[in-house]
Amino acid sequence: MEVAEVTTKDVLDVRGLVRRYGDLTAVDGVSFHIRAGETYGLLGPNGAGKTTIISMVAGLIPANEGSVRVAGLDMTPSETEAKRIIGLVPQELAIYPDLTARENLKFFGRLQGLTGKDLTRRTNEVLELIGLSDRAGDLTKKYSGGMKRRLNIGIGLLHRPALLILDEPTVGVDPQSRNSILESVERLSVEGMAVLYTTHYMEEAERLCDRIAIIDEGRFQAEGTRDQLITLTGGVDRINLRGGGSTSRAAEALSALPAVQHVDSDGAGLMLTVSDGPTALAGIVTGAGDAGMSVTSVEIVRPDLESVFLHLTGKALRD
Amino acid sequence: MYGLWTMVANDLRQRIRDKSVFIFSLIVPLALMGVLSLVFGGLGDDTVDLQPATVVASADDADQLGAALLGAVESLEIMDVTIKRAPAADVRDEMQASGAELGIIIPEEFSDAVLSGQAASVQLVQGSDATLESGVLISVVQGAVDQIAAGTVTAAAGGIAELPHQDLATLAQQAAAGPPLLTLTEGQAAAEQLSPRGTLVAGQAGLFLMFTVGFGVLGLLAEREQGTLARLRSMPVTAGTVITAKACTGFILGVAATTVLLTAGSRLFNVSFGSPLVVAALILCVATAATSLTFVVARLVRTAEQANVAQSILAMVLGIAGGAFFPVQGTGFAATLLDLNPIGAFIRGLGISAGGGTLNDVMGPVAVMLAFAAVGLVISRFLPDWGAQA
Ligand SMILES: Nc1ncnc2c1ncn2[C@@H]1O[C@H](COP(=O)(O)OP(=O)(O)OP(=O)(O)O)[C@@H](O)[C@H]1O
Ligand SMILES: [Mg+2]
Repeated sequence: MEVAEVTTKDVLDVRGLVRRYGDLTAVDGVSFHIRAGETYGLLGPNGAGKTTIISMVAGLIPANEGSVRVAGLDMTPSETEAKRIIGLVPQELAIYPDLTARENLKFFGRLQGLTGKDLTRRTNEVLELIGLSDRAGDLTKKYSGGMKRRLNIGIGLLHRPALLILDEPTVGVDPQSRNSILESVERLSVEGMAVLYTTHYMEEAERLCDRIAIIDEGRFQAEGTRDQLITLTGGVDRINLRGGGSTSRAAEALSALPAVQHVDSDGAGLMLTVSDGPTALAGIVTGAGDAGMSVTSVEIVRPDLESVFLHLTGKALRD
Repeated sequence: MYGLWTMVANDLRQRIRDKSVFIFSLIVPLALMGVLSLVFGGLGDDTVDLQPATVVASADDADQLGAALLGAVESLEIMDVTIKRAPAADVRDEMQASGAELGIIIPEEFSDAVLSGQAASVQLVQGSDATLESGVLISVVQGAVDQIAAGTVTAAAGGIAELPHQDLATLAQQAAAGPPLLTLTEGQAAAEQLSPRGTLVAGQAGLFLMFTVGFGVLGLLAEREQGTLARLRSMPVTAGTVITAKACTGFILGVAATTVLLTAGSRLFNVSFGSPLVVAALILCVATAATSLTFVVARLVRTAEQANVAQSILAMVLGIAGGAFFPVQGTGFAATLLDLNPIGAFIRGLGISAGGGTLNDVMGPVAVMLAFAAVGLVISRFLPDWGAQA
């Protein structure tokens, strides 16, 4: 008998995953791993293959090639052991409209193996977390879209899975609820949960994810920490100085600074290309003033994941 | 097991809450029973009232078994029978003259022939038109003759050449007052033992059972449309457990609805279906058969609408063929097909039970329903698996 290796560091280990729909290869050889306490993001536009990857990771559909192991256990649609360890928050709502929030939570909690006091306690905790305690007894068909979304997320957290899988959980949620969702994900991650998070909002990926895979047309275009990804674009910041006075003298003086790579000017001011914008900023503003420029506004434009995506694929992340 | 029960409980709660099961499984069929009983009007009360009948008989008064036979006919509780005597040759004329329903010609020395094990045939002459009364009379005579024959065969096997008088008297008594003669034949004849109203109640209950168990499959499709099926698949329950839970839900709803329909129907329309134990067995069997059919439907359809249509068609076809609205008869292969219909078997079984039949007597219909269930399960096994397609 093969004994699962429970001491494995990787909560999720995905290798060479391929999924085809007819002629379309929706997922084309994807490999990654997630450790406990790590939040891993799949960032990509509509149709990139995020949900298809997640469906294989959660054992909803079989892979054509490759393997998924959760805490050392094989994950396929017929496995039940590996499924005890995961919590899925599907992209599409997956709740019973004719049941209350509490009944929904209790039902799925039971299936995940929670019973008795444990079940009641966790149900109450999650209701508190998703801010639905006072509406817990209402049928969910009477909920607003955002409330349904929050319940959809809560069900995935109920049994404290070792691996939490969230597929675009914040779509259609107001900014306030969205923030509270992001906060709870951060908290869970601190508690040691491994999180797989898909989104096409780069702000979310930047804020939450320790490592990010940029995915397009079923393939990973790049993978790494936010900073690693940003260096792919060349890793330079832009600083825009607006104002009047002796802009041409200021341009000359600033080009002499070591951090400044390049200076452009237009009628409204100067645009600088800088290797480390935040550090160089003070020196640049002082230098410009000393050279006789009266600076009215300063703007640092740092490269973001949007620019990384644009750089890698030649396409904008959002349509 | 725990997961299975959790899912069944969850399904039942939702079905009960959304109320459609009450409407489609109880209110509609009860309303339909009422409407149909008005449409077909004058269906009579509890049982059909049998008219008084006249029988012209030719028999030797000294012949004990012959007398017992006629006694059985005359003392029939369910109808008034007047027996007129006539010589064998004049029976037909006398029947015409008196408008009699039946003529019975008992051969001379009938007792002697029977007791010595020789062939002896009682001749029956049916009146100008076959009435329900003449049918009943014929089966009474048939039953009495059967019992006399059975008794004498036993006696002959015991090596008694000639029965003493007491035994003859016992035989005669048995023939006259034996257990319900009407249950001697099963099948078509037995189904007719349900009064028209009884047939209506049983038929509608059987027909709507097909819809009710369908709520199980509909639940599966609803899960697919609600997205909850995807979530269930991410949980530690097997695809088989999910499907089995839906089948159990359909089965439980089916048994409950049919029980309520038969109980309410028999109160409202004043009909009786006989032993509750036998009726319960029949309900369990027909619900099993219907549930198995929903497995097949579940594999074939992809949306709730498709399931609705398929379920309605199956319910109507099986219901009508089973005699839910009016008796359907076929010959040859068609008759065999009709006999294999679980709803038909259910109605037949209720007929037997209504006539006082026991569990043993309904084994035929029970076997048909269980065989149907088994075939349904096997077929659904060979159809593609829902889990394979996302
Ligand atoms: N069941 C299916 N049958 C056929 N094609 C499919 C199926 N599911 C997904 N696809 C295709 O696979 C590709 C990837 O789809 P997927 O849903 O994984 O994208 P996604 O990254 O989750 O997009 P979104 O951000 O819109 O949710 C798409 O081209 C989609 O049309
Ligand atoms: Mg998606």
